[in-house]
Amino acid sequence: MMAPVTSTDTASLVLFTLAVAAAATILNLVPGVAMAWLLSRQGWRGKAVLETLVSLPLVLPPTAVGLALLLLFGRSGPLGRPLYERFGLDVAFTWRGVVLASAVVAFPLLVRSARSAFEEVDPNLSAVARTLGRTPLRAFFEVELPLAWRGVLSGTVLAFARALGEFGATILVAGNIPGRTQTLALALFQKVQLGKDREALMLAGISALLAAGALIVAEAVVHHRERTLAE
Amino acid sequence: MPGSSFIEIDLALRQGGFGLAVTVRLGEAAAVLGPSGAGKTTLLEAIAGLKRAAGRVAIGGEVLQDTAAGVFLPPEKRRLGYVPQDGALFPHLSVLKNLAFGRPRRRAGGGSDFESLVAALDLQPLLARYPRHLSGGERRRVALARALLAGPRLLLLDEPTVGLDPLRARKALAGIRKVRDELKVPLLVVTHGKQEALALASEVVLLDAGRVEAAGPARQTLLAPRVLALDGERRWENVAAARLVRHDASGGSSEVRLEGGGAITIPYTPDLAVDSDLVLAIDAEDLLLATAPPSGLSARNAVAGKVDELIVVGSSVYVRVGPWLAHLTPAAVAELHLETGKPVWLVAKTHSWRVVAG
Repeated sequence: MMAPVTSTDTASLVLFTLAVAAAATILNLVPGVAMAWLLSRQGWRGKAVLETLVSLPLVLPPTAVGLALLLLFGRSGPLGRPLYERFGLDVAFTWRGVVLASAVVAFPLLVRSARSAFEEVDPNLSAVARTLGRTPLRAFFEVELPLAWRGVLSGTVLAFARALGEFGATILVAGNIPGRTQTLALALFQKVQLGKDREALMLAGISALLAAGALIVAEAVVHHRERTLAE
Repeated sequence: MPGSSFIEIDLALRQGGFGLAVTVRLGEAAAVLGPSGAGKTTLLEAIAGLKRAAGRVAIGGEVLQDTAAGVFLPPEKRRLGYVPQDGALFPHLSVLKNLAFGRPRRRAGGGSDFESLVAALDLQPLLARYPRHLSGGERRRVALARALLAGPRLLLLDEPTVGLDPLRARKALAGIRKVRDELKVPLLVVTHGKQEALALASEVVLLDAGRVEAAGPARQTLLAPRVLALDGERRWENVAAARLVRHDASGGSSEVRLEGGGAITIPYTPDLAVDSDLVLAIDAEDLLLATAPPSGLSARNAVAGKVDELIVVGSSVYVRVGPWLAHLTPAAVAELHLETGKPVWLVAKTHSWRVVAG
């Protein structure tokens, strides 16, 4: 049976959840921004296919995503086996599985928001930056990213918030192991199943606070930057 | 023709249903003319290396691309000053930082070229501002200066006056002429206005549907009957360089001396300084022809010349007198017995003249 929830248990649950969401977000940042930039470019072959692929986790049942990840990253899976045999790394049913599931499910949110931000940047600006001596990469960092940062940031926050609440994919890849793979969302589910409605409600409250906090911080950052820019 | 192979272009590009195929050699001040959709901007982008076209581009003898030889310099290595239609200033950077963007590292900030260009284009009051607080004309000036500060071997200007009111357009053209003449920066300007092409360029390329329709010395090329006939409006604007001689405020006019000789009066334009260079325009419709020295007329400008050519376009006749084109009906030509070599006087009202650059 489960140990009763203590305040230290709750605190470590919150910390673990935050750490997982943060790790998933950091993991997503570079490939997400790169993918967003790529998808914001005009007509190239295979764009539609990639577009669909990236958005798939958004529309699939998270449990289906979880199942796919389990098959890929399980110890006998095509990716899980070499990871285990070469590096001794287990993904399934470990914290790594939690991070992976959260990252995959949150990825499209970052990409979609950042992509529309890049699409709004006038292509003439990077063109001019090129003629003024910038390589494509430097034009990206000096012109496109500074102009699209708001969309990138809001996408990042959305992805972080989504990762905080990830449930369906996580429970399939990583199970629901208290102290090892259990996040707030998973613990909440367990409390409900055990009929501990009050504790479940408390966890729901904490989740809401964390997500709202992330959104508020992002909003404040955007607002502050806009005020300083307007001066 | 001397200097007329400064720009060598031999490019081909397919883009969806549109094809561009341009082979042309041009001098140091050239204009690309054509209707919208002719591929003018695409041509500039291909020259800048922003669009990957097949073929060869050489500027001042330096090969920037030659796909047959496997050479393709990326835009950042071409040293071409590209100024898109709206200027494309970086909205997140102040005017000063926009200007500094293209400057070689070692000379960032300050420098004599910086100071003199800021003064010449009157940018000092704008330096601390952000692009969104600038007018259309100010934006173009900053964009022009930014391109120049990078030390380009050629300026590529896309419709430098589109969207500007007549006064701002006039100032913008004067600024570009100054850059061309004083800084000796070669330029290739895309425009859909003949008057702008004549004010800025000595050679033109006419582009239509991605092909070269005509190319060569500006006036001569644009005066070809075939080219005149291309123009749906059949309107010809005479354009001439001139110098301001004096103002006559009470008479409501200013006196100018035309580059080819002859003094005329134009509407009083107090913002132009005496001795400043300007470009004037007058419609071919507004030039009258007289076969004797005119008298008893309210029109105050008469320039003597002789008929050089009669250009028939459909049911219109353009009578060329030196650099001037007057638009007449065949009946008027017959009545005046106009023929090549006949002495005539060109007559125009003061208010038919417009200042297009100055």
